Amino acid sequence: MIRNTPPAFHRRACVIALAVSALPSYGAADAQAILAASDAIRNPSRPFSVTVTLTEYQAGTQVDTSTLQSYSRTLSTGGQFVSLIRFVKPARDAGKVMLKAGADLWFYDPGTKASIRISPQQRLLGQAANGDVVTVNFAKDYTATLAGTEEIQDGERKLRRSNRLKLESSSDDATYAQVELWLDADNHRPLKARFFAESGRVLKTAYYRRYATQLGVERPTETVIIDGLNPQSVTLLRMSDYAARDLPTAWFNKDHLPRFQPE
Amino acid sequence: MIVTQPRRAVVVALALWAAMTGSAVHAADPDPDAGALALESAPIDPPAASGGGLKLSLEAAVGRAWLRGQGAEHRSLRRGSVDVVYATRFAPQWQFVFSDRVDALHPHDGDATVNSLRELYVGWQDPAAQWAAEVGRVNLRQGPALGFNPTDFFRDGALRVSTTVNPLLVREYRLGSVMVRAQRMWADGSLSVALSPELDDRPDSEGWSADLGATNARDRLLLSLSTRWSASTSSQLHLYAERGGRPQVGASLSSLLGDATVLYAEWAWSREPSLLHRAQGQESARQSGHRAAAGLTYSTSTRLSLTAELEYNDFALSSNERKALATAAPALFGAYFFEAQRRQDLAARRSVMLYAKQTDAVWRNLDLTALVRTNPGDRSTMGWLEVRYHFPNVDLSLQALQYRGRAGSEYGSSPYRRSVQALATVYF
Repeated sequence: MIRNTPPAFHRRACVIALAVSALPSYGAADAQAILAASDAIRNPSRPFSVTVTLTEYQAGTQVDTSTLQSYSRTLSTGGQFVSLIRFVKPARDAGKVMLKAGADLWFYDPGTKASIRISPQQRLLGQAANGDVVTVNFAKDYTATLAGTEEIQDGERKLRRSNRLKLESSSDDATYAQVELWLDADNHRPLKARFFAESGRVLKTAYYRRYATQLGVERPTETVIIDGLNPQSVTLLRMSDYAARDLPTAWFNKDHLPRFQPE
Repeated sequence: MIVTQPRRAVVVALALWAAMTGSAVHAADPDPDAGALALESAPIDPPAASGGGLKLSLEAAVGRAWLRGQGAEHRSLRRGSVDVVYATRFAPQWQFVFSDRVDALHPHDGDATVNSLRELYVGWQDPAAQWAAEVGRVNLRQGPALGFNPTDFFRDGALRVSTTVNPLLVREYRLGSVMVRAQRMWADGSLSVALSPELDDRPDSEGWSADLGATNARDRLLLSLSTRWSASTSSQLHLYAERGGRPQVGASLSSLLGDATVLYAEWAWSREPSLLHRAQGQESARQSGHRAAAGLTYSTSTRLSLTAELEYNDFALSSNERKALATAAPALFGAYFFEAQRRQDLAARRSVMLYAKQTDAVWRNLDLTALVRTNPGDRSTMGWLEVRYHFPNVDLSLQALQYRGRAGSEYGSSPYRRSVQALATVYF
């Protein structure tokens, strides 16, 4: 059959085949792999700390600022990504610590000397919830599929060709039911994300921007978070002072929280 | 019809207006996120420049309390407080903690100025954070319950002044006990032992006293095993002993139910004098009994957090016993409540507590907190409401407290009927 086909058709078929192979054509496994690659851009693979400055705006007016320090690592057993978030500012909250190991959430107040278990919903009430958008590893808790390739406006308001991934929660540790994630088609850099509740409601939209070299990799150093219910409510998270750290596993035990004093 | 027509017209007009303004916004702003992306972050403030390990706050309160059973007679309330906590790591594995509070009170039973040296200790932990130890005055608090903690074995005598009914603040103001404590931690649990020696034989009401007799009046030992069973469930087991007393056991559990609910429960068993016997000084009259608390905390997506807690104490008087005591021996009746308060124990056999906090109520940074405690046996109630507004470094709040109940009931026996106060707190 092939021998009988005209040469022109053959050439055309080869060109089309080459062109198709050059297009990004990802299966589920590939989508999961590029999701993991984008996780590695946002979060260093080794234990690290980062200072997060949050600036809150309402209708374009700055209404609040706060500072957190996040200490994160992947546990060697189970591969869970865990974080300790220490409140630095405002002064009334200084020294309070939140431990997040999936849905296992504890809040420690040095005043009351109490480590209190909190629910995911309770955590979403506080500013620390926005830390999820920054220091969370999606590949562990979500299953990714490629939903398309499209041109979007990124956080710097430039048009970029991106791969749109659809993430479905695959573990109880996942905070959101679904996430839509746009990754730069050239280098898997996260550009934009939309986080959904189980009802399908958009909870927040995030833009990852201000890429700069931190711990040897170009990482987003600012995330713009737009509230899904009230788009006038915008929080900017500025990440600074990335540092590789020796973070012992035992630090992520709630019984260690009263002793957590990294500086 | 006469009524509904104008309503319908208003609805139609509003719908038209919404449609017009909606489309106008859409047409004028094809990129709804453009405004957000034009915003800039505040300058980065390095944590080292924000006070380090020192936390200082000043508080001033003024108010009025109305006395029970004496018509409209009332007292003015005034308080000034300085609260300081300093924690530092002076060597890689070593930590120093100092925590102190000074309250200047009016009216006052003893000294007008009372110092509470809450914590003063040195801590050590190995580089892998698997072993840790503390020596000094340590506020060791146990139990997940909010209003009453049966497994909080170091609570008795720990409160020098009573300035609030908010259970969270009561914990914050209390004294630690002088102890040597060691803990072994692993990924899913820990085992700790605390030895608290006798250092004095009785409390000292002198205002600037370290009051070691209040917290270290006898030798005490506490063993605690903490276990994380899963991401959603963890527990603690306790064995407590004190010189001259029988060993006590306790257990607690906290568990996550779904995305919005946390369940907790606490229980302790002991053989000890009842609260009445303690008030009478009959320390040798022992009985076996249980203390327990169980509750749920539910959070909504609208920033409301609700806690309901049931509490039980075998060592407290029943409502009928308390009513009889109020008639037969009023002085002992007063001593009974004083002893319950001193030991931070539950004065009622059964109690129900409801605690609600609405963050950002009506306006941003405005918090509403309500606490209701009810004794179902005598139907007496205590209600407390706080409205608090947060400025960047200042909190302003208004608090109202009301006791309701018949004479001889738990809350009907409070010397105050109600009180209101305004507070200003400055954080540095």
